[in-house]
Amino acid sequence: MSVHNIDVRGRAVSLIESGEGAPLVYLHGFADVHAAPEDFQPFHLRLATRARVIAPAHPGCAGSAELPDGHTIDDVLFHYLETFDALGLERFDLVGHCVGGWFAAEFAVRHPERVRSLTLIGACGLFVEGEPIGDVFMHAQPERGVDLKTLRHLLFCDSDTAIAKTFFPDGRADLETEVRRYQMLRFGSFAGFKPPYFYHRALRDRLYRAAMPSLVLWGEADHMVPLAHAAAYARNLPRCDGPHIFTGAGHALVLEQPEAAADRVLEFLASPR
Amino acid sequence: MSAPVQLYAWHFMAYPYLPADFDEKFETGWVTVPNSLWDRDRSRGLYKEYIDQLIYASELGFDGMVLNEHHQNIYGLMPSPNLIAAVLAQKTTRGKIVILGNLLPLHMNPLRVAEEYAMLDNLSDGRLIAGFAPGSGPETFNYDVASAPSRDQFWEAVDLIRRAWTEPGPFAFEGRHYPLRYVNPWPLPTQRPHPPIWIPGARSRDTLTQIARHGYCYFLSSRSHGKETAKSVAQFAKVLEDHGDSYRPDRMGILMSAYVAPTDKEAQEESREGIWYFLKNCLKGHQRREGRQLTFGPGVPYIPADEWRTYLQFSNPSTPLLGDTQDWDDLQRSQSIIVGSPETVTRRFMDILEHAQVGHLLVQFHLGNMKDELARRSMQLFATEVAPRLREQSAELFARSFPDVAEVAP
Repeated sequence: MSVHNIDVRGRAVSLIESGEGAPLVYLHGFADVHAAPEDFQPFHLRLATRARVIAPAHPGCAGSAELPDGHTIDDVLFHYLETFDALGLERFDLVGHCVGGWFAAEFAVRHPERVRSLTLIGACGLFVEGEPIGDVFMHAQPERGVDLKTLRHLLFCDSDTAIAKTFFPDGRADLETEVRRYQMLRFGSFAGFKPPYFYHRALRDRLYRAAMPSLVLWGEADHMVPLAHAAAYARNLPRCDGPHIFTGAGHALVLEQPEAAADRVLEFLASPR
Repeated sequence: MSAPVQLYAWHFMAYPYLPADFDEKFETGWVTVPNSLWDRDRSRGLYKEYIDQLIYASELGFDGMVLNEHHQNIYGLMPSPNLIAAVLAQKTTRGKIVILGNLLPLHMNPLRVAEEYAMLDNLSDGRLIAGFAPGSGPETFNYDVASAPSRDQFWEAVDLIRRAWTEPGPFAFEGRHYPLRYVNPWPLPTQRPHPPIWIPGARSRDTLTQIARHGYCYFLSSRSHGKETAKSVAQFAKVLEDHGDSYRPDRMGILMSAYVAPTDKEAQEESREGIWYFLKNCLKGHQRREGRQLTFGPGVPYIPADEWRTYLQFSNPSTPLLGDTQDWDDLQRSQSIIVGSPETVTRRFMDILEHAQVGHLLVQFHLGNMKDELARRSMQLFATEVAPRLREQSAELFARSFPDVAEVAP
């Protein structure tokens, strides 16, 4: 595994990279690598047994620089276009979780020729009437200054599971973890707070352009991005496999059921096109 | 002779009719506090009662009246302080009208603030003090203001307003957030070159630098005082020196709360209900650990990540906030709400002034659900028994501390 920074037109971008084979770009979310944990977790490592997994940290996250000039969804997308160019990635499998899934879907409709396949896991990005995406900012404010129970509920199937408490224990975490989480929330505030809230109304009607094979995975108890969003993606992606719903998992499916989720992705990637 | 400390009466206009079990039943007094608790019948006349207290402050000879902007909360019922200021501008003839301030990122176009403040300066015959604030956590949720870009937006808006008041219009403002082809406000403010500009801040180096660069007045937005207040003054003085300027008391203000009665005992008895209503209910969700505070933290990431890192290194999440105050001794230690006889209040205010050397004391008299007659009597005693002594003693203090400053003017 290698953790390093690359230079993208004068901006630092932190990457974690592991494995060999066809390139697979992974875009992270809140309860995920570069935000809650620093390094690859079992999910990412399992993908890396069959692919060269490259996970950039979003602008302002981990060691990546904030974007100097604008943070609209288009700015973030152009940043990724430049990042993939800098990495020499012409065509690759694209996997995104949470806001990373939103960016992956937006990238796929803009540059379908570069995306060999698209995998969305608990992805934000769509407006689904009456099914709002949860308020991660409100819940990131601990109750009594220390209690993160409602944040764990938002991000995991249950606020009291061992895995939820491992990544978001009550009280203050170590300095680097706290700063990483903060960076991710700050990036989220730039990219997706100001209306719309982690969605883009135009995206759904553009999904027809993402005609590559696609896969949609969701935790049954996703309290951040309701299940209705999984169905909406599956309905509108032309060649969608799914949605595959994982019982006993929430938004942080990649942390909660890493083997099952990774195996589903690997199976999809290996299936004949 | 140096000018004395300037004394202002600040009204927050709290919602006073919460049920007695509010604290047990509700997680916060901010943003999500259900407005089904608003009693339409009992609230008739509430604004008039509060405005009349401010008019009374003007009659009592306070140097000014202070208003601020809050939304969707029980702590302060002034989504638009400019409306209250317009009333005060017409109903009073003396005293500054301080709006501290309009929350600029909440206004779609800051030019509207430039226009309304200019109207208020005209309406009040040049008595406006123009405060600008970026808003903090609750506004993020209330008005859908993204935290991360809000500081940058704020400073651009302040620049736009200052230029709108001082540069001949029409001109084009080529901002990132507020690009405007024609900036040309009618009316212009009465005061030249513009009303004094006050900016609240909590020790952010970036904020102090902007304040120093433009000659604004710094309002320390902390409710508790002590060593940290003196440190903030020293920090501001250092930033001013870095900009070829020097600290003088009239460059800085602080917020205090006070209740005055003939004796310490009477003061405590009379103010108890209002103070504890304020601490437990109004500060819940804002400056209290119980419940969920929305003012500052990772969910409202308006400071850059490196400032957050510094904050984490020097803070403890279990440190009590003002709203966690347990008893009178505790309250005394926080040096936020000063309760007592005129002698006690004078002495304790002078203690703070001696440490902090600030030229503007913004004093909250009405706390929580305090009865009108109590708030008025406290203000009256402060004005007649405390204020003259504070003015005399502070003038001497500032003359000793700042011998080179001939005149400390507001």
